[in-house]
Amino acid sequence: MRKKLLAVLLSATMVLGLAACGDTGNGGSTGSNGGGTTTTTSGGSDNGGAAAIDTSEHVKIVYMTTGGAPDPASSQTDEMLEQLNAILTEKVNAELEVYYIDWTDYLSVYNLTLAQMDGSVDLVGTASDWLDAWPNAKKGAFRVLTEDELKTYAPKTWASVPQEHWDLCKYNGNIYLMPEDNYAQWTNHGFTYRLDWAKEAGLSDGVKSWDDLTTYFRYVKNAYPDVIPWDSDGTQYATMVGGWITSHSNYISIDGINSGAMWGCTKDDMYTVYSPYVTDTDSLVAFAKMMKEWDEIGVWKTDVLNNTASDNREDYKIGRVAVEQHHTQTWTDLCSHKDGYTIYDDPNTESGFFYFGEETQNLVALSITHGAMAVSAASKNPERALMVYDLIRNDPECYALFNYGVKGVSYDIDENGMRVRPASYDSSTDNIAVNYWWGRNDDLEIKDATMNWDAIEKLYAEYDKIKIDYPYGQFVPDVDNVKSQIENINAIHTDYMKQIAFGKYTGTAEDIVAEYQNALKQAGIDDVTAELQLQFDALYK
Amino acid sequence: MGKDKSSVVPAPTQRKKRGVLETLWRYRVLELMCLPAVVFFFLFSYMPMPGIWVAFVDYRYDKGIFHSPFVGLKNFEFLATSGKLFELTKNTVLYNLAFIILGNFLAIFVAILLNEMRSKWFKKVSQTMMFLPYFISQVLVGILVYNLLNYDYGFVNSVLTKLGMEKWGPYSDPSVWPVLLVVIHLWQQTGYNSVVYFAAIMGIDSEIIEAARVDGANGFQKIRYIILPGLRPTLVILLLFAMGGIVRGNFGLFYNVIGTNSLLFPTTDIIETYVYRAAVSDFNFARASSVGLYQSIIGFIMVMLSNFVVKKIEPDYSLF
Amino acid sequence: MAKKKDMDLMESGAKVKIGVSDMIIRGIGYVLVTFYALACVFPFLIIVGTSFTSESVIRAEGVQLIPKEATLQAYNMVIRGGLIWKSYGLTITLTLCGTLLGLGIIAMTGYALQRKDFPLRNGISFYIYFTSLFSAGLAPYYLLMTQTYHLKDSYLAVFLPLLMSPWLIILMKNFVKAIPHEITESGKIDGAGDMKIFVDLILPMLKPALATIGLFLALGYWNEWYQSSLFLSSRVAVKPLQYQLYKVVNEAQSLKNSIAGQFVTQTDIPTESLKMATAILATGPIVFLYPFVQKYFIGGITVGAVKG
Repeated sequence: MRKKLLAVLLSATMVLGLAACGDTGNGGSTGSNGGGTTTTTSGGSDNGGAAAIDTSEHVKIVYMTTGGAPDPASSQTDEMLEQLNAILTEKVNAELEVYYIDWTDYLSVYNLTLAQMDGSVDLVGTASDWLDAWPNAKKGAFRVLTEDELKTYAPKTWASVPQEHWDLCKYNGNIYLMPEDNYAQWTNHGFTYRLDWAKEAGLSDGVKSWDDLTTYFRYVKNAYPDVIPWDSDGTQYATMVGGWITSHSNYISIDGINSGAMWGCTKDDMYTVYSPYVTDTDSLVAFAKMMKEWDEIGVWKTDVLNNTASDNREDYKIGRVAVEQHHTQTWTDLCSHKDGYTIYDDPNTESGFFYFGEETQNLVALSITHGAMAVSAASKNPERALMVYDLIRNDPECYALFNYGVKGVSYDIDENGMRVRPASYDSSTDNIAVNYWWGRNDDLEIKDATMNWDAIEKLYAEYDKIKIDYPYGQFVPDVDNVKSQIENINAIHTDYMKQIAFGKYTGTAEDIVAEYQNALKQAGIDDVTAELQLQFDALYK
Repeated sequence: MGKDKSSVVPAPTQRKKRGVLETLWRYRVLELMCLPAVVFFFLFSYMPMPGIWVAFVDYRYDKGIFHSPFVGLKNFEFLATSGKLFELTKNTVLYNLAFIILGNFLAIFVAILLNEMRSKWFKKVSQTMMFLPYFISQVLVGILVYNLLNYDYGFVNSVLTKLGMEKWGPYSDPSVWPVLLVVIHLWQQTGYNSVVYFAAIMGIDSEIIEAARVDGANGFQKIRYIILPGLRPTLVILLLFAMGGIVRGNFGLFYNVIGTNSLLFPTTDIIETYVYRAAVSDFNFARASSVGLYQSIIGFIMVMLSNFVVKKIEPDYSLF
Repeated sequence: MAKKKDMDLMESGAKVKIGVSDMIIRGIGYVLVTFYALACVFPFLIIVGTSFTSESVIRAEGVQLIPKEATLQAYNMVIRGGLIWKSYGLTITLTLCGTLLGLGIIAMTGYALQRKDFPLRNGISFYIYFTSLFSAGLAPYYLLMTQTYHLKDSYLAVFLPLLMSPWLIILMKNFVKAIPHEITESGKIDGAGDMKIFVDLILPMLKPALATIGLFLALGYWNEWYQSSLFLSSRVAVKPLQYQLYKVVNEAQSLKNSIAGQFVTQTDIPTESLKMATAILATGPIVFLYPFVQKYFIGGITVGAVKG
């Protein structure tokens, strides 16, 4: 009897649970269908003229971004939003709310919020190379943006993004993303180093190669015994080996497959997919040997792989370390003479940047979908979301407010038209944080006067001479068939490269590389290459 | 349960006559007492359970869990084909066994010692102190262990250097970590676990203890013949409970102490840490659910087996 | 009254007969327990010391027991803006309400499930225990909580799921088991109903169990960060203490270890001393809960006391 009762209870649970979950699912899909219908009708009426846009109802547009929310007590973000919302209400009868996703566990919370599909977010910041833009488009999280919609509700954005860029935002022929394609930034990695110390070390032009780096580290270690050349925390293994390969070949990686960016083509043969981690054995062995040498020099701490306590970037600013490994954008900050950057108390100090690929002039510009805005498929007010986005991307007043805060409080403009801190500015209370990385616009950017523009523009000019555009913007990898291979390759890459990139392996360089490559093959790296080649052929041939 | 002759359980014949509804009515108060808990587990545990289906689909947000395309065991494939499933499961189980066996042994040991203490002040202070590690978040545990053991400026190594001895480099020596991890785990959990046993000792009928004393039993005999047997039900329950989680690793501890130092993986890689590394670039709810399901099924089998065995030997001690 | 007598008896008994073996056990006990307690307190002192140390010293020399350059900077950072006090208020409220309510339900259930005459006891025990084995995983749970129960951004999403756990109920059941069945029977003979038996006769004897499980519940509420990280979005300004701690200690590292870390530059990375200071404040008064609870750990459940 008891068992029967239990069975009844359990099955009741299952049925109810199923019903509940089914509801959720249905609700989600009907919601998006409804959205689709709205689009067509409004699109139809809009053919009659732009005046047909109905903004009589005041709506709130929620913009989701990664990064923690500022503490309201020590930030001017709320004050800025108040002013911005006054403008938005006047222009499109909408207000904007920023919905922050803390960095801690950001991927799961971000995806869970998207999975809710209940219209709780409208605008979604995303990125094809680091924030799952294409997987989420495939999972149905993003709304298909029709040309009519874009022309009607985001006309300035539509006009400012060239057609070939819109093509890069398409999956299966539909536009899902609005790209941040008019914003100069370089996130190619390299080493920021002390140019003055490099000169002392006999490198009169600065560091120009990986070998120069070795010379530089040796010199620093001897000349400045108190300085740890690089207090790495062991997380840069993939960046380093990737940088090494870029610097020693014409390899161009394909974005959005795995974090090691382990598949790509060469500049000379742009459509033959390979993995240098399998083919470039000699190069990897040379890398392993050099990293062993660095380890022996004492570039990093002995237990670098567990060293989570370091804050190398802060230490660079005060001269406790000799390099910082990150991208160009970080260097533009570090080379500028800002408050608290005590290394510049000595007027001779200069910060140079050795970028990966410098030796072979192998430099690929950032994909335009490195930052992009999408509209949630469940958004209840997609039209208004587009209208708000059009304003914060293209309207000078809204743009300045949203990006820099309230003028006179968070920033001011000096006689050269550059951005400065007001006299009353207190960094602990007057900042804003909206993490707007999905629609910045160089036409409206106001340059920061504290940046070292001479050095920055010189490097950018150098980049512009050699760069090529990211060639695979239209390629959206579909890795479902080889997912398990990629997942195991991720683990293998981490396991071996951690040891190789910090010279912590035992045995010879040849042995460890052979072992690594063998493991990759076992895990099926060739299957992945073949699968990608098939998809490449389908797209490009 | 019918064994207890003195109880007020109606005789079987009587019960049959009265029928189910009447029995239910008869125990309505007890049923009501259970109701909040039954409702609670229904709402928060059983309601989401059908969603386990997500482990077998290619989850699409717009379609919902039950309308997404079915993909079978594909979400689990990476672990099955990694060639590491057995090794990872073995590591996870062995660590858990060490945690469970040594953990309970130490907790009982500490609880008994505390029970023998006569100074109330000492008991209070020492037990409060023993609780402290439980409050230290795993991230901080990782930081503390690193500061204690690292090669360049770690506490242990600075002492060794001062004594003129050679430095010790555990972060490049996988062989020492099984011991270190067990020690860290015990250090963190023993204070907490011993409270259960301490409370169980308090539940032992003090007349029996007193009687034993009067009979001239000495301290050891009292522990051996009264306290230890008195703790047996608690121990069995704890063990049975632990069986359900035998293939679930303590990710917080392993991840924060070992991190992704692959030099140490030969002895420290558990299911959770491997899945974490494999999943690093691709977020997927289905994968996590499928691994969880694998762990649940093994745990379920383990519990059913052990509960069956316990029921055979001592029906009173079984979980259900 | 009877209990008091028993305790006196025990105390005096202990005084009269301290044998050699007791001396040995006690001697070993004091030495080992002292040693272990010190091992537990030492790292905590390091956290305290480091929280008062200036960041430059920490980066050069690691964590500190006695700060070389003492500073309150980290604490000033944590309490800046006063949000932390609101978090205290929230955590204390959740802990108090959750512990009392949870304890009541757990005790009732534990008692009913241990009643040997209760026909549903095995069924319900299994029904409860089963939930500790199988869970649906994150996504179904999250969707249920947000879509069906609409608990997103509600403190109830933090409060409710921690009210009880299979483990605590089974533990309570186990504690109840130590109470002789005769007590329930004697109540029945006196004509008391089940509820009355439970409240008047059983509960007073469950003090050590209530103290233990109450302690665990309270610790569970106090240490909660997980539900908060899922269900309390940036719209909720005041979050539980431990979530603040979790965020401070994990933020920088989880960004660095993710693919976003290759691109995103985080500003205001929490310093080591800030992490430690937050840890101290987030742990706060709960460390003093134990001595308070301990007074309920009184030996001497006696059948005689009730019978007589």
